[in-house]
Amino acid sequence: MFFHNFKYSLKTLFKNRMLIFWTFAFPIILGTLFNMAFKDIESSEQLDIIDIAIVENEQFNNNEMYKEIFNNLSDKNNEDRLFNINYTTKEEASKLLEDEKVSGYLVYEDGFKIFVKTSGINETILKTVTEEIKQNEIMMNSLTEIEIKNGNYNYEAISNDIMAIIENSEANIEDISSSNLSYTMIEFYTLIAMTCLYGGILGMVALNGCLANMTNNGKRVSVAPIKKSKLIISSLLASYIVQVIGIALLFLYTTFVLKVDYGNNLPLIILLALVGTLAGLALGVFVSAMFKTNENTKTGIIISVTMLGCFLSGMMGITMKYIVDKNVPIINKLNPASMITDGFYSLYYYDTETRYFFNIISLIIFAFILISISIFSLRRQKYDSI
Amino acid sequence: MNKVIDVKKLTKEYKNLKAVDNLSFEVYEGEILGLLGPNGSGKSTTINCILSLLNFSKGSIKIFGSEMTPDSYELKKEIGVVFQDVALFEELTVYDNIDYFCGLYINDKKVRKLYIEDAIKLVGLEDFKTFYPKQLSGGLLRRLNIACGIAHKPKLIFLDEPTVAVDPQSRNNILDGIKILREQGATIIYTTHYMEEVEILCDRVIILDKGRIIASGTCDELKALSDIEEKISLEINKLDDKHLEEINKFKTVDVATYSNNTLLITYKKGKNNLLELMEYLKKERIKYNNIFVERPTLNDVFLSLTGKELRD
Repeated sequence: MFFHNFKYSLKTLFKNRMLIFWTFAFPIILGTLFNMAFKDIESSEQLDIIDIAIVENEQFNNNEMYKEIFNNLSDKNNEDRLFNINYTTKEEASKLLEDEKVSGYLVYEDGFKIFVKTSGINETILKTVTEEIKQNEIMMNSLTEIEIKNGNYNYEAISNDIMAIIENSEANIEDISSSNLSYTMIEFYTLIAMTCLYGGILGMVALNGCLANMTNNGKRVSVAPIKKSKLIISSLLASYIVQVIGIALLFLYTTFVLKVDYGNNLPLIILLALVGTLAGLALGVFVSAMFKTNENTKTGIIISVTMLGCFLSGMMGITMKYIVDKNVPIINKLNPASMITDGFYSLYYYDTETRYFFNIISLIIFAFILISISIFSLRRQKYDSI
Repeated sequence: MNKVIDVKKLTKEYKNLKAVDNLSFEVYEGEILGLLGPNGSGKSTTINCILSLLNFSKGSIKIFGSEMTPDSYELKKEIGVVFQDVALFEELTVYDNIDYFCGLYINDKKVRKLYIEDAIKLVGLEDFKTFYPKQLSGGLLRRLNIACGIAHKPKLIFLDEPTVAVDPQSRNNILDGIKILREQGATIIYTTHYMEEVEILCDRVIILDKGRIIASGTCDELKALSDIEEKISLEINKLDDKHLEEINKFKTVDVATYSNNTLLITYKKGKNNLLELMEYLKKERIKYNNIFVERPTLNDVFLSLTGKELRD
């Protein structure tokens, strides 16, 4: 009878259009919309190579460090190059700027002077880079003075030390910029979290169908010679499997169609999805057991809780996650959507798995508490009213 | 006859209401017992208590000699229930719905298949096996609801208002089906507020009002409790007050009223009141059209006992 109920539970869940929409179609539609919306935003924020001009005068030509730095920043073999540099005369540079063929030009005369026509992202970058070079120059001079004062006249060694410092400094900047840091990833993590928690609707429907005080079908199965626990477990197992299939479809769709990169640790990704779905199922069981109201209202409760949780964990903008984490961190510590989102986030961005497993354990505790409360409520076999 | 159900002093209280008040009755093997009463009289509550779905305040319930509890799985195997509200899966076909509910009782697939076919035949849904519930009319849905409740061939069947809001064809089909179930040996508890159905189907009737048994017995025994013994109605175009007064003075007349061109006379006693009336009308040269003579109904019994109509 366990398998009989399980089989028909699967059949009814798969044929329930409302459930299929919320658990299968809606996340995929939302994912597609995210992709359409944020792909453009991200691509629009990718930096174009900036055309600039540098006036080739004697001072510049004699400064090997600057020449080297700008060569690096405009090296065509460098994927991260910032500038396309036109080395020219001051008059020509001025004309190029006037004709808007360059965003600005630099003249090195007792320090860099920047000439720009308008203010914008390219001009800001040019200014920022130049400021940084100036800072490096100041640092180099200071270090050289210190070394000479200390009696170290080995210029080659001093130069090597300074270059090492600069390279390290550049390396730090490079780490941050090259890690494919994409805040749209958070949107997709919250989308997965949302889908996991929407599994609660399946759990709620399955459990409602077993309870005599909730549905007519519940009354009918309650008078059948089958243990309530067997009935509930087989129904919830079917719900869980349907939801896992829904999550799998979403993963496949976002990975292969939307080209979302979830990282390389597939077993841990699957584990998080399975535990997240369990948390969603627990939420549905809890709502079904604790609220004596109709199925539509219960669905509304689950959707509201899920959407609020996802909102607080950054679905509608990562800023919200930062605000909550900074000001009321306890909310996201208790928020299952945040646990799932943070689990994926930590898996993707951190080498250690401590934070990931903290989230996994938090989700298991969350599910355990909700299911325990629900079981306590479901233990009674007779009702005061139906 | 063997007792199938034995209910003693059953009381079910809600906060400020006694839904079932000290109810005691028995149901015997092979009979159809009618629970008759207006809406809210406690019929469904009584059934839910018997089925161990509802807690009750006092009393005891035995089915097949054993106490009924939520864990009485052996007893439950022998029970079939058709609830007042249709309980089906919208996502399953007619056949699958019956298979699902029957499968909760019968493991053997071959046996189940035979049982399902029998149930479908009994309720006349042979042409609708692959239909989904939303494709069925209200009457056909009720028939499917019954099939789901009785497909496992239970020995004891509870039918809670199975004919509410169904068309005459489906009602006849359902009533015929219930008769067949009884012929096959099932004991049936049938709740309704349609007195005609009770008269057609039931061997014994319990009339409930406000959670209490106000009368029980066979239909004839119950009718004997009525204040009236015969009702005669005639279509008369014009009747003077004087004539109405004289008719009211007939010895056996309980009350005579005239409205909407209809003279309605209820008699306390006697079965041959018509002759006396005809002679009077002839003598007074009063013209009349249709004449209807009726025996008292269970509604009249209910009216006599409670002062209100069964369908109030």
